[in-house]
Amino acid sequence: MLNKKKNIQELLEEWQRTKEMQDRIEYVHTIPAKQADLVKLPSNLHPSLKKALEKRGIDQLYAHQRQAFDYAMKNESFTAVTPTASGKSLCYHLPVLQSIMEDRTARALYLFPTKALAQDQKSDLNKLIEDSEEEILSYTYDGDTAPGIRQKVRKAGHIVMTNPDMLHSGILPHHTKWVSLFENLQYIVVDELHTYKGVFGSHVAHVLRRLLRICHFYGSHPTFICTSATIKNPRELAENLTNTEHKLIAKNGAPAGKKTFLFYNPPIIHPTFGVRRSAILEVRDLARELYNARIQTIIFAKSRVRVEMLVTYMKSLTVKKIHDESIRGYRGGYLPSERRAIEKGLRDGTIQCVVSTNALELGVDIGQLQACIMTGYPGNIASAWQQAGRAGRRQDDALIIYVAQSTALDQYIIKNPSYLFESSPEEARIYPENILILMDHLKCAAFELPFQEGEKYAEFEIDDFLDYLCEEGILVKSSDKWHWMSDSFPAHDISLRSASQENVVIIDQTIPAHTKVIGEMDRYSAMTLLHEEAIYLHQGIQYQVEKLDWEEKKAYVTEVDVDYFTDANLAVELKVISEDKERTIGHLQVGFGDIMTLATATIFKKIRFGTHDNIGSGPIHLPPEELHTSSTWLSFDQPESWKEDDLTNAMTGVAYAMNSFIPLFLQSDISDVHVVPQVKATHIGKPAFFVYDRYPGGIGLSERVFDLWEELIEHVYSHVASCPCKNGCPSCIGAQDLEGEGKKQVLSFLQMITHAEMDD
Amino acid sequence: MSYENKILQMKKMIKKSSSKAEEKKTPFAKPSDPAYTKDWEMAGLKRIENQFGMVFLLETHYPLETKHGDFLLGDLYNAFRLWSMPDNSHPIELTKDDQLIFYDTETTGLRGVGTQIFLNGILEVSQAGFILKQYVLAEPSHETAFLYESKLWEPNKTLVTYNGKSFDWPQLQTRFTLHKKDLPNLPEQRHIDLLHGSKRIWKNDLSRMKLTQIEEEKLGFKRVGDIPGYLAPIIYLDAIKSGNPDALLKVLDHNKYDLLSLVTLYIHATNLLCESEEDESSTTITNIGKWYGDLSDYEKGSRVLEKVTNQFNSNEAGYAHYHLAFQRKKQHLYEEAYQSFMNAVPFLNESEQLIAYIELAKIDEHRRKDYQSALYYAYKAERTLNNMQSLDRDKKLKKFNEISHRQLRLKKKQSLHGK
Repeated sequence: MLNKKKNIQELLEEWQRTKEMQDRIEYVHTIPAKQADLVKLPSNLHPSLKKALEKRGIDQLYAHQRQAFDYAMKNESFTAVTPTASGKSLCYHLPVLQSIMEDRTARALYLFPTKALAQDQKSDLNKLIEDSEEEILSYTYDGDTAPGIRQKVRKAGHIVMTNPDMLHSGILPHHTKWVSLFENLQYIVVDELHTYKGVFGSHVAHVLRRLLRICHFYGSHPTFICTSATIKNPRELAENLTNTEHKLIAKNGAPAGKKTFLFYNPPIIHPTFGVRRSAILEVRDLARELYNARIQTIIFAKSRVRVEMLVTYMKSLTVKKIHDESIRGYRGGYLPSERRAIEKGLRDGTIQCVVSTNALELGVDIGQLQACIMTGYPGNIASAWQQAGRAGRRQDDALIIYVAQSTALDQYIIKNPSYLFESSPEEARIYPENILILMDHLKCAAFELPFQEGEKYAEFEIDDFLDYLCEEGILVKSSDKWHWMSDSFPAHDISLRSASQENVVIIDQTIPAHTKVIGEMDRYSAMTLLHEEAIYLHQGIQYQVEKLDWEEKKAYVTEVDVDYFTDANLAVELKVISEDKERTIGHLQVGFGDIMTLATATIFKKIRFGTHDNIGSGPIHLPPEELHTSSTWLSFDQPESWKEDDLTNAMTGVAYAMNSFIPLFLQSDISDVHVVPQVKATHIGKPAFFVYDRYPGGIGLSERVFDLWEELIEHVYSHVASCPCKNGCPSCIGAQDLEGEGKKQVLSFLQMITHAEMDD
Repeated sequence: MSYENKILQMKKMIKKSSSKAEEKKTPFAKPSDPAYTKDWEMAGLKRIENQFGMVFLLETHYPLETKHGDFLLGDLYNAFRLWSMPDNSHPIELTKDDQLIFYDTETTGLRGVGTQIFLNGILEVSQAGFILKQYVLAEPSHETAFLYESKLWEPNKTLVTYNGKSFDWPQLQTRFTLHKKDLPNLPEQRHIDLLHGSKRIWKNDLSRMKLTQIEEEKLGFKRVGDIPGYLAPIIYLDAIKSGNPDALLKVLDHNKYDLLSLVTLYIHATNLLCESEEDESSTTITNIGKWYGDLSDYEKGSRVLEKVTNQFNSNEAGYAHYHLAFQRKKQHLYEEAYQSFMNAVPFLNESEQLIAYIELAKIDEHRRKDYQSALYYAYKAERTLNNMQSLDRDKKLKKFNEISHRQLRLKKKQSLHGK
């Protein structure tokens, strides 16, 4: 076949003529192009800034950029909703540079969720400063900053760009070295606000509270500038995160080209089981067509493993060409130089296709591409729009293809496209009230500055907690102040990123004389991904885990070349510790409170690439992990007419579907909450479903489900009922036996409990 | 119950209020005396009061004849005399007119703003004798008084410390910054850190640079009943909680030993640097010669190194030759440098050998114009590089390129100028 260059329109027309494609594309949606909303530059804009903008051909601002400038100059904290490619960085660069040009003592702190983003933005900012021909010093400050220039950054940096982790453990505990920053801090820029959600966001909320406390000590009252992708509650999130009132800039003035969305469902290859062809293989084929038509494409996959698999598949297109770099992988952990190379490759066209994890949802500037393929629904509307936003250069047409996987959530989306286009994106929630997180940061705050009797820590009244820390021998109360009095350094024991604080280090021992560390992983994930005999993929290379030293938290791996990957099961035991809230829905009882779970990795399976056959299995020997968290549960009387076996099967199926639906209600990753069915819950001796937060102390997610049970059950029912499979499939209640009655059981079970509700 | 579960029990205690914490600008309130003040006074500490509160002081006087290890404290005046001689010049030199204090702290931790200094040990020098002033933080809330009383904010002092540049002084700066509202600014003081000096002098001679090890091996002093420094934070914490100062006095002893040894260490270092001490190993003298060289005092440096090359056998003098060669080169004495490199080569490790061969090749090429010989050393360098295991691949490759570049150029020159 001749690989002719085509544009998006030509390719779409061609697909319209193909029967096969017509069957698989279940829905097409177009969003028309949008004009730019431009306004004048502010009249008081510093001449040097004006000059810098002129050099970039800018003589007008988008409406939202101007609004941002005006708020900032009035010292009003604000949050701007800025989709990809809307010129968001000028929302903060302009007011910050203007203020520094007006007063050279002024300082600004930029926070980016990752080190990489800070380094990306630094080059952008430095270019702008260079064009203004003013002496303004901006630096990144992170683990990579050379010791030699650290002092200069602390004393002389007008703009310091860092990440929350560095602020938490490298800056705040040493604030006396940053006097000139904290005394003169005028702006705190929080970029990518929407990424600060869940546990991580709750931690960062406290880091910012500690930051403000230190600013007040030194007499500064900084203004917050936040930018966020589209979420439902940007202002609420910003206010909760920063404990400061915000204005909202919701209208975006940037132009956009026409966008075409295709909803692509892989063909059913086993009608009885409702099994569809693997989404990854479909994505590979679609990407190949785009590649051959020379349409620059970004492919999103949910996990690092899938990225690596897709890169491997795609690279087979170029094996015959030497030094062909036209297909590249991209995921967290790439060096700035590698990213520069990818960025450059995309600009000059040597790179045609990038496969990425959601790392690229973040504002890493790799420029805009023509097409985007989503391998599966990313889990929430906001992420879907972020990914879709990667396609579409300013005024050009863009193509976005959503390829559904077999999971319940993915199939729901493809049957209900309006969910994506008509409902508002999810809320991003944080829960600074989590007592464990609160206490962790209270310790850090007490380390940073002594607390006075009656003094509040942000919105919290804390005298009782400080007394407790005194009893624990961490603080000493002297006169009316609590002083830190311990030789430990609390910030080092507290990680903002991961639930379990101790990570497992992955050591490559392929060459025994040259063992090297190639990565790390949190404890919970390690149970199912780094058990002995697991196949661990890293940079497209397969490693087998030879030994997992759980005591020392080290996994030893050796490079291998096999045709399968591994997948492990996690069994969860659970008991209720206290019940804080209850209500009833007909005959159903709903509760909320604290629970303790015990997770044990049980067995793993070996699954062949390509066919995804199960080709072997083995046991996993690891100690169980304990988790004390909050949970909501739904319980009911044991139905008389049901055999226990049938009940177990039905409840397992329901829990499977629920697990996939939770992200529809909460903007959370599937891994943040978990659903577990119990035929005889230990605390009441009745059947129950538990939904719990997978973080010690909870992060407020299950508490919200407490109010949403009716809606959740309803959704589960209608989805399972409308699924085209016969006996139940991975898209609804999970894979079932050939002879099974699984689906029927689940439906009658759900009818039974919803009927119970109606009886009332 | 685990820590985590205990904390989770407190969930119900969370209280929030939205009222903005108004900023109180309270004037300095003098904290009250700790309850154990009398007990600590009974133990021999003196209560001192100033406008910020109180601080405990233990003051001890030492006559100049006090013996500490192999030295008398009064030997310090000998050291001043040595430095006053016109031939002796070095960054650590001091005169009797300097406002000299030996300084050492004990702290509640290792770093960060949560670490407090609880003991300021200050040893002052005068013709009449030494005065040791040990200020003890009465309680965390009396920190302002504690810092003020140290007088370290008075300008024009010269501090002598052990690791003070990285530890004690930055800690002190942190504490002064926290109280900048009430306290005078802490000015930069002249500061001699003897840890740096010890490293220069005893590199490859002492295995560790702990002060106690130097005391035992070089200063003839052995501590008896000393508490290890890492226990100091716990002991202080216990003292202010229990009110019992007994163990704390042990910490004061520890601090006293540190300061007295600092004086004798300074005396010993001066003797070595001013060449009035002959009884040292070739390694140490070589180190000193190299130090002078690094300070661009090649004349003195060469003289010290030549002492090694004259007095010790060629094996022990290998490194002295090596460093001497560089200093000769800096002085443009190329023939001498060449000779020294040749003498050094057999006794060097491979990476230094590589450097020496290249240096020899350079002198052959640029000074002696002996391209044949230069090529010979370039090949020697190549072979040495080949055998090196320790270097990583990139660096090795880079070096290879450099060497082959040199070889090429040499061959060209050789053919141009005839053999």
